Amino acid sequence: MKTKIHIYILSSILLALISVTSCDKDIEFSEQLTPLTAANLDSDAASWTPILMTSADQIAVPAPTDVNSDAYKAELAAIKDAQSKLTKGQQQIIDYWSGGGVLRWNQIFRGLVARYNLPPAPRADGTYPAPDAENPFSDPMFPFANPPYAARAYSYATNPMYDALKAAWHYKYLYNRPAPYNNDSGIEALMPKSDLPAYPSEEGVMSGAAVEMLKLFFPVSVEEITKHAADQRNAALWSGKATASDIAAGLALGKAVANLYIARARTDGMGAAGGNKAVWEALKLNATSRGDEPWVSLETPPRPPMLPLFGKVLPWKMTTEEIVAIRPPAPPLRGSAEMDAECAEVKYYSDNITRERLAIVHKWADGAGTYTPPGHWNDIAAEHIRDANFSEVRAARAFALLNMTMHNASIACWDTKFFYFNARPSQLIPAIKTSTGVPNFPAYVSGHSTYSASAATMLSYLFPAYASDFQTMATEAAMSRLYGGIHYRKDSEVGLTLGTDVGEHLVNTFAKVDGAD
Amino acid sequence: MSASVCAQTLTDGLMMPKKTLCTGFMYTHDSWTDYWEGELKRDNGNVGKVTTQSLMWMGTYGITSKINLIAMLPYIKTKASMGTLSGMEGVQDLSIGVKYNFFGRKFEKSAFNTFAVLNFSTPLSDYSPDFFPLGLGTQTTNISYRLTAYYKIEQGWFINASAGYTWRSNTTLDRPSYFDGNEFYNSDEVKMPNVFDVFVSMGYIKNGLQAELNYIQSNTLGGGDIRRQDMPFVSNRMNAIRVGATVMYYLPKPKGLAVRGSAAYTVDGRNMGQSQTFMGGLMYTIQFNKNQ
Repeated sequence: MKTKIHIYILSSILLALISVTSCDKDIEFSEQLTPLTAANLDSDAASWTPILMTSADQIAVPAPTDVNSDAYKAELAAIKDAQSKLTKGQQQIIDYWSGGGVLRWNQIFRGLVARYNLPPAPRADGTYPAPDAENPFSDPMFPFANPPYAARAYSYATNPMYDALKAAWHYKYLYNRPAPYNNDSGIEALMPKSDLPAYPSEEGVMSGAAVEMLKLFFPVSVEEITKHAADQRNAALWSGKATASDIAAGLALGKAVANLYIARARTDGMGAAGGNKAVWEALKLNATSRGDEPWVSLETPPRPPMLPLFGKVLPWKMTTEEIVAIRPPAPPLRGSAEMDAECAEVKYYSDNITRERLAIVHKWADGAGTYTPPGHWNDIAAEHIRDANFSEVRAARAFALLNMTMHNASIACWDTKFFYFNARPSQLIPAIKTSTGVPNFPAYVSGHSTYSASAATMLSYLFPAYASDFQTMATEAAMSRLYGGIHYRKDSEVGLTLGTDVGEHLVNTFAKVDGAD
Repeated sequence: MSASVCAQTLTDGLMMPKKTLCTGFMYTHDSWTDYWEGELKRDNGNVGKVTTQSLMWMGTYGITSKINLIAMLPYIKTKASMGTLSGMEGVQDLSIGVKYNFFGRKFEKSAFNTFAVLNFSTPLSDYSPDFFPLGLGTQTTNISYRLTAYYKIEQGWFINASAGYTWRSNTTLDRPSYFDGNEFYNSDEVKMPNVFDVFVSMGYIKNGLQAELNYIQSNTLGGGDIRRQDMPFVSNRMNAIRVGATVMYYLPKPKGLAVRGSAAYTVDGRNMGQSQTFMGGLMYTIQFNKNQ
């Protein structure tokens, strides 16, 4: 009898548990975005200072056919036909891209960086192969999207989109061809309606610029990238926002602007940034000549340092001389009382990992397999850009300013790191254990700190109401490296100062005077 | 079945009699140098040999002779012999299960029994799920369903087979995005695939001696592979085939005290270390109802 009661209780528990375990565990991949209605059309965007283009009309876009022409009417008919047969899958593509093209592309950039952010595996003889842009499909995969590669890629992916959108705005208001849904009442607006002229289509511009740049930076993912670009153009067409000729003109403009940037990227010094064996050996002198301990790789087998000549890569709206001029003074020498105290503090955090500090370390680690610290700051910026309902051209400006700043931060940080070439805490004190991976380059100054302060400075300019939040985040990101046992406090503090300097330079010399405010 | 046999696991075919508690501590030493990166077997000088030690309390109590409660709680400590990564330690997951001997038939010289097990486990500390291979666990709440069949002949030889399905809750990272080996997610929540396992053992159990050889296959039903030179990730497809041996012996004195030892070796795996495991412990049986 008693057993029967037990069985009854057990089966009720079982039923309750089955209902728990049948619940849906699926997770949404992408950010949730509501359809974008720009707070302001930014009709004067063509007058904003370009980054690389000489003027908004540097690349010619021919006048469109008349809206009363048979050719144009045929294009409208094609949209109506497409709308009448719209599938659920096509509607999902429209919904996805209606969240904002610039925001969606930024998210795709971050996903690509995370996918390619893996260091090559060692060969059997203990050496490491270098990823080869000429042979991207072989092992090791190309690229290794480490933080400097990523910061540069984010800026090269965003800047052409921004310049091309300003050019598009020029022609939009020059030719003033309305969107199909404003030309023909038989065409539904499946994205929020706006009075922005449709020719050339901003979706065409963005897809053209993005595809050309991403093919250069992530050649192995060309199929995925091309599909995204085609989806974006189709979304514009199906939603009644642009006709085939609006889109074709945008696509051609986007590609032409991208080609200006590709020429710059091929000659910006990145090709030589990896150095060679002679360069790696000579770097030791940068430390020993000051009487300091030179950096050695803590990986097994030892890996050559990450991009030792990246400090010489071409910055945005800043010169290499200006980068060198803000290089911080030398770090304390090994064996000095100051360095002993720095090491003792790192050892303390290494020995006393609290759950709270571990969460901070992991929140900001952004190591291999992630979108890197520059990606994290794009993620943070995306929320603010989304909430501000920026027009596509203003959203592109925000990401361009942010990513140019972080690319400059990479250069300034790498210049400092390899100029001093000092050791990580675990190299000086092997008993220092770390709660995240030790990056394979010198300690001083911290990359996370430099990136974060540069980003926080630019975002504080863009979204002043949130300035204290950005500063708090930057400081937390900087301290996470000390808590994780991979940086001295000085690396973080001086890195924050360097990042702020880099950020303020771009804010004052470019952002504040580009005509967009 | 002798009242002096202590049931210890969710997968065996043993039951504690009514109002009898078997409790004790097990120490486990698990280590590996080679591991499977996806399906590629390799070693890694950045971790060297990874050692996981645990001290686990366990207890089995007979509510009735047909229904037992089984509870376990381990304290875990990890360490890597090379590289800079810090080891971790802490209390892991509390596991509470109900084992129900729902069918039994006695033959002239043998007996056949079947069991259903429902097990629940949940983390008792806030350890990070994002520090493989040195993390303490997955930080998931799990619910397992299991069926076991056990056949024993009079001379003491037995064969036991068990299959289980474990539902795992999703887990939460300390970071706002991650790449799981296949896809990039803008979320801190990780979808955790469920796990299926099969356990087969055969051996001898009589007069206070239990000795068995066992085979365990555990498959994660989904999840990505560790990519070349990447770190492992909490939702990886972790599969393993392990073979092992267990011996348990009741000491003549003091009555009720048993020593237990076991060893296991991973013969094949995916996204896991090729570990060898040694366990040793003491179990003590207390009868609360002497009339039983």
